Amino acid sequence: MERDLSFLIPELLLSSAAMLMIVAEMMRAARLALVIGLVGLAAATLLTLPVLHADTTVFSGTYRIDLISGWAKLILLPGTALALLMVRAEIAGQDREGSVYALICLVTLGALMLAGGGDIMVLVLGVVLTGLGSFALVAFPRDDAATEAAMKYLVFGAVTGSVMIYGLTFWFGGVGSTLFSALGALDGKPLIPTVGLVAVIIGLGYKAALVPFHFWAPDAYDGAPVSIAAYLSVITKLAAIFAFAQVLRDLPSSSGWPLVIAVISAVTMTYGYLTALVQTNLVRLIAYSSIAQSGYFMLGIVALGASSLAVPGLIVLGAAYVAMNLGAFAVVMISGRSLDDMRGFGRKRPAMGIVMVIFLLSLTGIPPLFGFVGKVYLFTAAIEAGFVWLAVIGILNSVLALGVYLRIIVPMYQLAQDINESVEKSPHPAVVAVIGITALITLGMGFLAGFLPA
Amino acid sequence: MPLLTLATFLPILGGLALIVLPNRSARVAHGMSIAVTGVVFMLTLVIWSRGTIAGGFAQIEELAWIPAIGAAYRLGLDGLSLPLVLLTSLLFFLSAIYSARISDRAPSYVVLMLMLETAALGTFMALDGLLFYVFFEVSLVGMYFMIAGWGYEDRQRAALMFFIYTLLGSLPLLLAIIGLYLSSGTFDMRVWIDMPPLTGIAAMLALIAMLFTFAVKIPAFPVHTWLPAAHVQAPTAGSVILAGVMLKFGTYGLVRFALQMTPEAFAQAGQVILAVGVVSALYGAFAALAQSDLKKMIAYTSINHMGYVVMGVAVAALTVDLRIRTIALDGATLQMVSHGLVTGALFFLLGMLQDRAHSRDMSEFGGLLGRVPWLGWSFILMAFASLGLPGLAHFPAEFQVFLATLNTAPWAIIAILAIVVTAGLYLRAIAAVFLGSENEKWLEMRDLDRREKLVIVPLLILTVLVGVAPSWLINMIHTTMESLSF
Repeated sequence: MERDLSFLIPELLLSSAAMLMIVAEMMRAARLALVIGLVGLAAATLLTLPVLHADTTVFSGTYRIDLISGWAKLILLPGTALALLMVRAEIAGQDREGSVYALICLVTLGALMLAGGGDIMVLVLGVVLTGLGSFALVAFPRDDAATEAAMKYLVFGAVTGSVMIYGLTFWFGGVGSTLFSALGALDGKPLIPTVGLVAVIIGLGYKAALVPFHFWAPDAYDGAPVSIAAYLSVITKLAAIFAFAQVLRDLPSSSGWPLVIAVISAVTMTYGYLTALVQTNLVRLIAYSSIAQSGYFMLGIVALGASSLAVPGLIVLGAAYVAMNLGAFAVVMISGRSLDDMRGFGRKRPAMGIVMVIFLLSLTGIPPLFGFVGKVYLFTAAIEAGFVWLAVIGILNSVLALGVYLRIIVPMYQLAQDINESVEKSPHPAVVAVIGITALITLGMGFLAGFLPA
Repeated sequence: MPLLTLATFLPILGGLALIVLPNRSARVAHGMSIAVTGVVFMLTLVIWSRGTIAGGFAQIEELAWIPAIGAAYRLGLDGLSLPLVLLTSLLFFLSAIYSARISDRAPSYVVLMLMLETAALGTFMALDGLLFYVFFEVSLVGMYFMIAGWGYEDRQRAALMFFIYTLLGSLPLLLAIIGLYLSSGTFDMRVWIDMPPLTGIAAMLALIAMLFTFAVKIPAFPVHTWLPAAHVQAPTAGSVILAGVMLKFGTYGLVRFALQMTPEAFAQAGQVILAVGVVSALYGAFAALAQSDLKKMIAYTSINHMGYVVMGVAVAALTVDLRIRTIALDGATLQMVSHGLVTGALFFLLGMLQDRAHSRDMSEFGGLLGRVPWLGWSFILMAFASLGLPGLAHFPAEFQVFLATLNTAPWAIIAILAIVVTAGLYLRAIAAVFLGSENEKWLEMRDLDRREKLVIVPLLILTVLVGVAPSWLINMIHTTMESLSF
């Protein structure tokens, strides 16, 4: 028991921090809540380092301390801290500010459970914990758009969640255990693996915004504050992707899951970028492009077990994605939500323009930026696993991606038709800090990628 | 001293220094640009003096990068890359001098130029597949912003077309590189060259992917359509770098990757590749003949000249005679350098003409030779070089290519027809712009000033030098080509 708890120090720290934050909010000390959150996240990140190279399980195999869950903490915890800073910049001084911080930390706790879950029950717990917090976060502004978005998100989440739980009971019935590690016993059995697989794809596919379970995402991102959209688009998505990795690497491939995931991956990438091409709202454009990014992550899921680069690829692209997507959203917080707001933005704010270009080119996968390294890992993994066609589709989609992101870059350097001379208020220092940090990571880690896991 | 690394990264470091510099006036920016590119040029001269070795790469510099997948930072040189490195550093130096008059957002312009130089030098010197791809793509981004930011009227569309076209073009190369990696376990290009890891159908697929990439970059018919648009809209220095340096990425890759890493497949497809070269040479010449826009005309002659390079490489793969093979590759490589010098100079001269007249349509000029003798005679000399007159830079190159072609695939010699066509179109252009009756509009036109002469004279001298006494250059190339392993 004590041994088990020692491996869970980061999770324990985070949940204690969240509780303290709620107390702080009750005392109307939102700033204190923020500080507790940031300190808690930083401490949890640091205390992950000693157990990073462990490969074990705790609580009778239900929770995994392995490469995926370790790196998930190193990615998601700092990512959450950055998101907290962005939220602070957007809603500082508003009512219920502290509860947002507390909710975010609780959702991240759920995300860690998804990334480390080794058992059906933990998986369900993670899905519920991330879901409940997220609905409330989306509804935060309390206006029509946000309420509608949250409602859609909730209904979608409730339905897919129930379907998932229902389907997963088939696996329990099939092997008599809720542990993923017992799923090997399903090898060769008809139907049961498939039912559970469909359930997992629906439940986690909804969280990761895979096509066709993505409908909530653009509405939710657009209805929520930009910083909340940024948070949801990286943290809960990555958690779902890591959860996919935890489940599917134990599921016998005789159930045909690699092919199913490959098809979903191809459809998600293509659909995401094609739809992004016609958006005029910047947040929706990035929302659709981040749906497409989920498709890229699936390249790594497909190659699980067949290529030693699959897991490192997921981790590398995951880290890159947190940096570049949070960074891009942070720039949107400064520029405004409409594509028209980008007109002349690069001339008006040269430094912001350059970093936005860096984020967008990294999302496209242009070397030597961080996103490129992640994509090379995943393309290589997919080809090694025998999915050459999928890699080709992924590579062709990079061209679509370029088209999508150029729709932002090109107007940035056009001369603004009517330069509104209104005095621009200088951006909140927290956002500038987030942009600086994420830009450094996006730019620098492309060169230093050798230090990442192998 | 890791001179290769120094030369590669000095430009981008200079660019970064410029970004953090408190005083970023146009003067400081251009001063920095000229100083950095000048030093890099000197460095490449020192690199040249250190020499290459037969049958492999010299001056290797290596550092771990992503050990998990066998990718490393590896730079090195041989007789194919060294002349291109020298050409690159020279053209960037001259471009920096020429660009000193640009005042619109000069610091950004200079940073992009310096970034392009790093990318170009890195592309020619990289000995790691992944690293090569990185430099290759970075150059694309730099050139996109160059055209979109400082080009002429229709620059946005041209830049976009250039970017999407060449990105689509370069992605198959990534597939081929991944394929080579998975079958060899390393990204070391030397391993891929010494023991081509792919065979049979896999090699053919990889070759097709690489040919697509490099054909777009060269550009060869029928994937050349981005070139005229990009050239016409690009700023002058952009055109010079695009034609002089970046088109060579395609031909360099054709030899380094396609020929050396999938030699058997290349030989099997040799006749097809040769045909592509012949068609490009002929098409480029005839299409140039139809232009009245001078810049577009020169752009199309690039397709023609690059067609000869493709022919040379294809002939080298087809022949069994080692002597003929060496002649073909010597010719092809020399043609790359000559084209850089001659077309670079022609684009500079057209830029100078356009600075003065704000037009590049040949029908608007006439009788300029008396008014601007320096500009006129330089253009005439370079035009003669471009059409392949003996004694000037293109002649020794094209002569060797045709010699090898005649020996190996006599039918392909019909490409020689293109020389007649280019001769016709250059004479027509010279007659229209510099001879005939003087157009009153241009009575006030100034001749080249000191800075412009400084840009053009080195290229004039080198063009004559390579034409009259090419041995110093050919020897450098020959040592490697003789012992090229494929």
